[in-house]
Amino acid sequence: MASLFKQVGAVTSMNVRSIPQRAAMSIASIVAVALAISVLLFFLALSHGLSQTVEGSGSNDVAIVLRDGAGAELNSVVTRDQLNIIAQAPGVVHRGQTPMVSGELLVIVDGKKRSTNTNANMPFRGIGPEGLALRHNVHIVQGRMFRPGTNEIVVGAGLLREFSGFEFGRTIRLRGTTWQVVGVFEAPGTVFDSELWADVAVTQSLFNRPNVFQTMRVQMTSPAAVQSLKRFVHDDPRLQLQVLSEREYYAQQASQSTNGFTIIAWFLGVVMAIGALAGALNTMYASVAARSAEIATLRIIGFSGYAAFFGTMVEALMLSALGGVLGLVIAFIAFNGRTTSTLSSGFTQLVFKFELSPGIVISAVVVAIIIGVFGGFLPGIRAARVRPQLELAAQ
Amino acid sequence: MNDLTLMRKNLWRKPVRTTLLLISIMIAFLLFGVLVSFNVAITDVRTAPNRMVTLSKINFTESLPIAYYDRVLHTDGVLAATHMNWFGGYYQDPRRGFLAVFAVDPDSYLRVYRDDLHLTPQARETFLHERTALLVPRNIAERYGWRVGQHIPINSNIFTNGTNGGHVWDFTVAGIFETPDGNSQANSVLIRYDYFNDTITFGKDRIGWISFLTTSATVNDRVAHAIDARFANSQDETSTQDAAAFNRSFAAQLGNIALVVTLVVGAAFAAILLIVGTTMALAVRERTKEVGVLKTLGFSSGRVLRMVLGESMLLSLLGAALGLLAAAGVLYIFSRINGGGGGGGGLHLYPSVVGVSAAIALALGLVTGLLPALSAYRMNIIEALGRR
Repeated sequence: MASLFKQVGAVTSMNVRSIPQRAAMSIASIVAVALAISVLLFFLALSHGLSQTVEGSGSNDVAIVLRDGAGAELNSVVTRDQLNIIAQAPGVVHRGQTPMVSGELLVIVDGKKRSTNTNANMPFRGIGPEGLALRHNVHIVQGRMFRPGTNEIVVGAGLLREFSGFEFGRTIRLRGTTWQVVGVFEAPGTVFDSELWADVAVTQSLFNRPNVFQTMRVQMTSPAAVQSLKRFVHDDPRLQLQVLSEREYYAQQASQSTNGFTIIAWFLGVVMAIGALAGALNTMYASVAARSAEIATLRIIGFSGYAAFFGTMVEALMLSALGGVLGLVIAFIAFNGRTTSTLSSGFTQLVFKFELSPGIVISAVVVAIIIGVFGGFLPGIRAARVRPQLELAAQ
Repeated sequence: MNDLTLMRKNLWRKPVRTTLLLISIMIAFLLFGVLVSFNVAITDVRTAPNRMVTLSKINFTESLPIAYYDRVLHTDGVLAATHMNWFGGYYQDPRRGFLAVFAVDPDSYLRVYRDDLHLTPQARETFLHERTALLVPRNIAERYGWRVGQHIPINSNIFTNGTNGGHVWDFTVAGIFETPDGNSQANSVLIRYDYFNDTITFGKDRIGWISFLTTSATVNDRVAHAIDARFANSQDETSTQDAAAFNRSFAAQLGNIALVVTLVVGAAFAAILLIVGTTMALAVRERTKEVGVLKTLGFSSGRVLRMVLGESMLLSLLGAALGLLAAAGVLYIFSRINGGGGGGGGLHLYPSVVGVSAAIALALGLVTGLLPALSAYRMNIIEALGRR
């Protein structure tokens, strides 16, 4: 056993040191693996970044109320009567005498995407007086909050980075009325960072939707209180509504948005990996062919077929591991952390960052290792089967 | 035995190697075929150059008063106009995917989209006269198994039906239509505006947008200007543009798809260029002796060069053909799965994609074969026969 390890060690180090003699094909197979891995990483990082942003938007102790069956904010309707009933429900946090609830209305307005200068859907959210307090980790970084009852807008910092038309201090005409951007807020890593906010009552009247909300957000005393609000709403026949914790709601939205990208990632990644595998197999068969005289000599002086097999296997694994590392380097330099935007499941633009996670890096490494194992296995068997006398006679 | 036979025999003397190379070439062309076809399907919706749309200036999801329709129709330079509303439709379960259901004015719709819908005269008559009539494109009818005359309930995720208090409307399939390749109406399910407008509980007498034809594409700008100026400073300002430009900006909302496609396809081709190029070089190096023999037998250097190039061309054309075949299969499966509102309806391998692929395959064959072919061309007999 110990001698087998020694043999494998000796053959492997000979193989690895002879790689430079087959430089061109070895590099080709390293690059092919690297490109396959970076394509896989590109879409996985996109999907992960998008899902982190959407999921990171919700808290456990804030309830979101939608029309039963609406599925998303844009399709939901909540009336003022319903809002008033829920504001009186047990478990709602009060600030002084006022319940911390916010009836909200989301409309879509056009902005211009900076990179292409084409129109893009911007979420314009009317929020109630408690709307800001209901969202943790949001703070104004420039200017001030809009004053209730006025045509003032505050804009998310993420939206400003990717889209133009709503710069600080700018006046905008919507529905024959002038609006002014009076502040910029930051809500890092959440969907709110790519939204515009204004007073809900003003939004309702100017967008011709009097007394209609789409959703309602409610600050509950605890996550458990969100569950009791679900029962409260379920037991009241006037309320054909659905209650979710904000976290549950955004987790649903996230899976809708990212499933497609995850499927694309694996479709493209696997297809390209198969191409890279074909390249790796070719390289390894060529390597075995080039070393056949050497392998034959080793066999005659007493090395076993296993040593030849493992030597080939380790060479293949090294090439694909190098490819995997190169792919990761490309990913970290070229796109990790970059900001981009896409149309979210809510039909509005969402700004997010490409984000690699440990899990994604591990999947990439696993794919590279699989390419190496498959790429080394069959050529390894051929190496183990080299028949010394025939081989040397042929030379 | 001609040169082609020799090339073929050379190509298949190492069947494992050739098969592996074919697989990697095939994969690059599979990705090319699928991704570029997707991009074409999304961005290149074919519309007549004189087709325009008038939308709310705020965003296309905001509605307009129905009175605007008449004013647009009677604007100088407008040939025919119709109005449409997004219904937010789905059949039974929203998880099965959404339907692009539009509420339209039948008479004017069938005039503006006369060349887009292939419809039987009977289906046409029914849609013009039956309030609950529904027109469905063939791909969607097949997907859900709908037949003409069948009663179909369709849900809206936006509107409430005032007659039953729910979100469901009953329709009767009046006809199943077909559209030309890549047409904008390829996935549109059509219902009547009068039925829609009489039964909804809010948003009555509002329309989503106006689609119209100008007398000629040369007057497009003037007409757009006239319409938008007319509604300037009103509650509902408009934005009028040609339909192709609107489709492009809508596709751009998803992200820079063309760039992503270029990068992925570029990565795939870069990988196979290296793999095939180095392997061809190895193959010719292995055959040094044979090249010496061929030259000794009187094969000219030019002929040897052509044979090596021919071999690499054969390889890459064969790989490309296999890849496009696979791409056509994958696209067919996608269009089956995604027949609904996902825009995957008319998805298939476009002839233009096949043409570009052929050009790329030739270039690939040339580039990968050139260096080995030149080295075979330059090889001198004495050295070739002596070298081991």
